[in-house]
Amino acid sequence: MGQTGKAVHEVHRLEQLAARDQWVNRIHPLVKFFLTVGYLAVTVSFPAYDLAGTAGMAVYPLALLILADLSFRDTGKRLRLVLPFVLLIGLGNLFFDRNLVQIGGFTIRAGVVSMAVLFVKGTLCVLASYLLIATTSMEKLCYAFGILHFPKAVITQFLLTWRYLTLLLEEVNRMTDAYALRAPGQKGIRMKAWGSLAGQLLLRSMDRADGVYESMLLRGYRGDYAYIRETAPLRGRDAAWLLFWGALFVLFRRFPVLYLAGAGIGGLLS
Amino acid sequence: MSDLQIEVKNISFAYEKGREVLSGVSFTVAKGESVGLIGANGAGKSTLLKLLVGLNPGFSGEACLFGLPLEKQNLAEIRSRTGYVFQDSDSQLFLNTVYEDVAFAPRNYKMTEAETKERVLHALELTGIPHLSSRQIYKLSGGEKKLVSIATVLSMTPELILFDEPSIALDPKNRRNLIRILNSMDQTKVIASHDLDLILDTCGRTILLSDQTVVCDGRTEEILTDRGLLEAHGLELPLGLQRTAHRPE
Repeated sequence: MGQTGKAVHEVHRLEQLAARDQWVNRIHPLVKFFLTVGYLAVTVSFPAYDLAGTAGMAVYPLALLILADLSFRDTGKRLRLVLPFVLLIGLGNLFFDRNLVQIGGFTIRAGVVSMAVLFVKGTLCVLASYLLIATTSMEKLCYAFGILHFPKAVITQFLLTWRYLTLLLEEVNRMTDAYALRAPGQKGIRMKAWGSLAGQLLLRSMDRADGVYESMLLRGYRGDYAYIRETAPLRGRDAAWLLFWGALFVLFRRFPVLYLAGAGIGGLLS
Repeated sequence: MSDLQIEVKNISFAYEKGREVLSGVSFTVAKGESVGLIGANGAGKSTLLKLLVGLNPGFSGEACLFGLPLEKQNLAEIRSRTGYVFQDSDSQLFLNTVYEDVAFAPRNYKMTEAETKERVLHALELTGIPHLSSRQIYKLSGGEKKLVSIATVLSMTPELILFDEPSIALDPKNRRNLIRILNSMDQTKVIASHDLDLILDTCGRTILLSDQTVVCDGRTEEILTDRGLLEAHGLELPLGLQRTAHRPE
């Protein structure tokens, strides 16, 4: 399978994960959306040198991974594409933050700590966003946006872009496969073929997009994605889930929970 | 009220000026009829079907569906009463799972979730694929996709269904299954295909399109057994009939 084939597979795999009938998947999309936004805000707000505090925030994605029965290995594989960029952003701190800090009796550059904090923050934020997508379909997410009174046009645009992304990737996959089969032993696509391939891709994906749009029109589509309509109300367990995690985020932000837990365990042992 | 579901009078259509794809096409289809639309590649079968649901505007002549002139203000009603099964199932199906795609039309027609569910399950039942309900569309075979495409249309409970090359890329087993399903449908059907064996098995009446116009309209058995007529318009006898003709004594 080529790179684009893998990308298409990944998009479908994400949709498959989101369509599963897991407990976490059944939580109201609005609750999951609020929790993710809240989680990102709290995680990002930790001070630059608070490594223990930031790391404590890992409890939420870890709990979701377990409850949603998602593979740690697959999740790691997906994250590895983004992690180098996260690391790259923090790398500057090594050079610009020249203060010294004491950790466990060692004196090290504060830049190392702030880089680590930035890396942890970035990883956790990407992980939380991934978990939202992996447990909530794009349609349900848009349903949540609808409740929040996002403009209809924006929501429709969002949904159609998601649908057309797959379509575009499938066309790229077909074309690169067709090219590779007629250019054995050649690595990648030659520069001189790029122009016509891009033109063909545009025409073919427009054709397919036209077909999809016609199919939508003939099945009652009037510019309003009725698909995002959902009748499931917010239930007690959704509210409980929101309150539980909301309180936990505040707790982790206000108190050094990991430090206190470590000190408590240390005290018990001594 | 007229019993005619399609009335087409002297229709002409061109994608580009001066290059007509359809010219002076006239025919009618009555309620409950199953009509085959045949013709060689490029004869205008798909163009005509798309024209009937308003996807090819800018034609000349008169067209009425269910007694309603094919005009912009009537398109919503005409489309709500007409199902269209695309040649390419990948164009027809665009949502993640089978259930979601089959539910797309009922939801657009503002049905409640309970009604939508009932319609979806019934459509899947009619096409014999209730077991595919939660499957992802991209994982389906070509035959399964075709059946899902038909289910997406049946969930609208249309009075008229237009099929564009329904048997294309189907293996013999899936093709037989398709024929069984087509024959079990009560709706008025127009089936555009150059699979003449399929037309022979599913349609009582056939319209032959050639040179941009209708050259013959009559009983399927008469048209599809007329070797001279078919060959004059770029077609051949159905394979089933060819085998009978060449069977050794």
